[in-house]
Amino acid sequence: MANERVIPYQPTVIAGPKQALLVTPETAELMIKKAKRPLFVLGPLVKEEPLLTLAKKIAEKWNLPVVTTADAYKSFKDQGLNSTAYGVVEIVNLLKDPEWQGVNDEGPHDLVIFLGCIYYIGSQGLSSLKHYAPHLKTLTICKFFHSNADASFPNMKDEEWMKYLEKMGSD
Amino acid sequence: MIFVAPKPKSEPKKLKDDFWKAKDIKISIGEIVEKEGEISEEDTPMGPTPKPHVTDLRSWDMKLLGRYEPFYAPFCDMCCLCTFGKCDLLNKKGACGIDSATQQARIVLLACNIGTAAHAGHARHMINHLIEELGEDYPLDLGLNIDIEAPITRTIIGKKPQNLGDLREVMGYVEEQLSHLLSACHTGQEGSNLDFESKALHSGVMDDLAREVGDIAQIVALNMPKGDEDAPLVEMGVGTIDTDKPVILCIGHNVVPGASIMDYLDETGQEEDFEVCGICCAAIDISRYNDRAKVVGPLSRQLKFIRSGVADVIIVDEQCIRTDVLEEAQKKNTAVIATTDKMCLGLPDMTDEDPDVIVSKLLNKEIDGALILDSEKVGEVSVKIAKILAPEREKLKKLPELDAIQNMASECTECGWCNRVCPNSKPMMEAVVAAGKGDFSGFEKLYLNDVCYSCGRCEQECERELPLMSMLAKVGEKLAKDEKFNIRAGRGPVQDVEIRRVGAPIVLGDIPGVIAIVGCSNYPDGGKEVAEMAREFLERNYIVVATGCGAMSIGEYLDEEGKTLYEQYSGDFDARGLLNIGSCVSNAHISGACIKIANIFAKKPLEGNFEEIADYILNRVGACGVAWGAYSQKAAAIATGVNRWGIPVVVGPHGSKYRRLYLGRTDKKENWKIKDLRTGKVMDGEPAPEHLIYAAENMEEAIVMTAKLCIRPNDTAKGRQIKLNHYIDLYKRYYGRLPPDINLFIRNEKDIPITYKKDVKEILEEMGWEPREIPQEPSLMGMEDD
Repeated sequence: MANERVIPYQPTVIAGPKQALLVTPETAELMIKKAKRPLFVLGPLVKEEPLLTLAKKIAEKWNLPVVTTADAYKSFKDQGLNSTAYGVVEIVNLLKDPEWQGVNDEGPHDLVIFLGCIYYIGSQGLSSLKHYAPHLKTLTICKFFHSNADASFPNMKDEEWMKYLEKMGSD
Repeated sequence: MIFVAPKPKSEPKKLKDDFWKAKDIKISIGEIVEKEGEISEEDTPMGPTPKPHVTDLRSWDMKLLGRYEPFYAPFCDMCCLCTFGKCDLLNKKGACGIDSATQQARIVLLACNIGTAAHAGHARHMINHLIEELGEDYPLDLGLNIDIEAPITRTIIGKKPQNLGDLREVMGYVEEQLSHLLSACHTGQEGSNLDFESKALHSGVMDDLAREVGDIAQIVALNMPKGDEDAPLVEMGVGTIDTDKPVILCIGHNVVPGASIMDYLDETGQEEDFEVCGICCAAIDISRYNDRAKVVGPLSRQLKFIRSGVADVIIVDEQCIRTDVLEEAQKKNTAVIATTDKMCLGLPDMTDEDPDVIVSKLLNKEIDGALILDSEKVGEVSVKIAKILAPEREKLKKLPELDAIQNMASECTECGWCNRVCPNSKPMMEAVVAAGKGDFSGFEKLYLNDVCYSCGRCEQECERELPLMSMLAKVGEKLAKDEKFNIRAGRGPVQDVEIRRVGAPIVLGDIPGVIAIVGCSNYPDGGKEVAEMAREFLERNYIVVATGCGAMSIGEYLDEEGKTLYEQYSGDFDARGLLNIGSCVSNAHISGACIKIANIFAKKPLEGNFEEIADYILNRVGACGVAWGAYSQKAAAIATGVNRWGIPVVVGPHGSKYRRLYLGRTDKKENWKIKDLRTGKVMDGEPAPEHLIYAAENMEEAIVMTAKLCIRPNDTAKGRQIKLNHYIDLYKRYYGRLPPDINLFIRNEKDIPITYKKDVKEILEEMGWEPREIPQEPSLMGMEDD
């Protein structure tokens, strides 16, 4: 059923009238291109291969500053990807402050791309940003539809998701 | 029934105006105590806030909230609380004028009030029952080693409770405050999120009081262990239950019905013929009352165990009970007896009926179950009915055979909805698909350590209506036979003598911290993580205290020699001590221990002196709570209460669904200003503790954060070295590098752990670090804005 792809993966996460915009890899890339100061947040669900390499490629292709949450820092560091480690609630707390100058101290981020955070805490973090960070957009490229984001990939099986991520990381 | 707080004998309001607060003056109040015809005078040094009203500690709350700003994560964009709405609060205000942040704070206050009311209702029930049985003059004697038997009551109420009657007075105060706090949740009342938070903090402290009252009452009146470090080991686990005997299962939190069952068995000489076991805190408390009672396990066992059909009778009291317990029990012809006003389950009130008539009506199915509000009668009826039902139910204690499970599983259509509705996103569908092919390993993985905490959401979604929880219970049956553990019975409070011994090393930092593993089960990845966290900190010389489901989960962890952590570590409140304090209400003794440190070690007066005590704990006592699982409003109240005392808490990823955290910002230096009470100088401080309530995404993050949150401004150089050594060590293990914020916690070179001296110095040099002044008596009191 088509709608199963665009209701929250955990259906009870539905929060209100506003739902995320469904995006493909192409539209997700357009969002990144358009952003002046995007940020890539990587969670512990992508610290194993092949997701580790796919995430790294996306970060490198788009030259994205990266924040890793939970203990994801170590896996990405071992792969040669430098990041800043924050708890997911810490980075969301910083992002919702319009005065915060970002991970590189270059000014507030205007787009945050999430990948690999645990679904339900990720959803809560996106809800925080939805309510208290009108100054930035949120995009999720997990294999789950995140209705609390501004834009999200749909619910997918692993195979289709890998293809989506490959597209976003390839030249 | 409405309870009204008794009129105070003193006139505390006169002491609460700004003049007294500003001067921080302590006054001695001469209190006349009339006792057995004698009149004696007792001088009690009284602080500025005895029996504080909702707003009396607001200035302290605002200090905390300034440092640890509320972080909100709404569940819902809407407010659905009144008929003026529904209102969409996403970047809009509601029809009543409320905004999203204020609404979130209101929901948190509501949750805390529910939690507090649950404990207060429980404590009130306990007090009334015990006073009826023993009289209001029954003394509160916790033995020779505990003089400060009620540190929370003393600090909040300003009075040492002497007997059960005094505890009733405390409950009157709690109930009065609670009605004010709940009324603030009404539409068109409070309009500031920070004031809602201040009220939530007050509610949390009322919860602390209610828990202290409830636990002290049951300890003294039911002769539970009184701070006993060698409390007996109690059998725990499904495998310890002899299913050939009639089995009575108690679920909930109230010890009274379970205790009555044990008494009836003893009185009738049948104690060897029955199995009395419990799930959740009822289990802990019954085993504190009588060590023959067995602990099935934490909350996460509930549906699996009910479905196994082992129990002949289920006694429910209050809190944390599946609300479909009657329906589930009926499928297995298990009798259900409800025992409190909190949970009547639609059952007929048989309280005044003859016990044999109740037994007859239950056996003949004239009634679905019985509501019996007389605990003695509960004891008699449950034993009598279990005795008759047990032989009749022999076949019902068996689940379908494995080949039947395989047949059922083969019907799975792989729609995936069981996975989607699983709160933990666990792979139920994959387990079912494999089971359909005769491979039960997926189910086994879900069963072990309660990775699946058997909420049963998956079953409700299954388009083939497969009884997934029963299938899980069957596969787990053979594993359950090996579930034989020992848990040390809940010891209750920490002794004064223990506080004297460890007060200095804790305050100075030589003992790196006190880790309190508390709260509900329903962990993100099973109970093993809780035990692993406990072991990690025990091996590092921390004191680990535990209550409720956390204490049980720790007991389910066996080492290579088959021993539990309770058998490996002492029950002393000392470095490498593992203490089962008791049930959820016993959590009061954890904040109580921190309060006692301030009193016994630092000689801080308790009575009416909340802010000074909380300030002391926040700045000096390296304690940190860990509530790893998900569930209740009681947990919200408990965490918020300990936060107000200055104790930080780390919650699991589900904890983000409490909707509010208190997070510190290390990039805002101005938030960490501190006053040195010795010199009166306000100076730059440090983010210690960095957060007050923090949700970690996984266990690894939680362990590192917990170690960090034990750091306090008052640590000596030696203590700081020890604490940082653990923080660095753990950070290196899980993140593969030194912590990037280490510079924040090095005040001068003496703080650098010797093991990491070279590496840390390099980092400090890179960061342009410079040493800073250390306050001798760090405090948030007496700052400019006071």
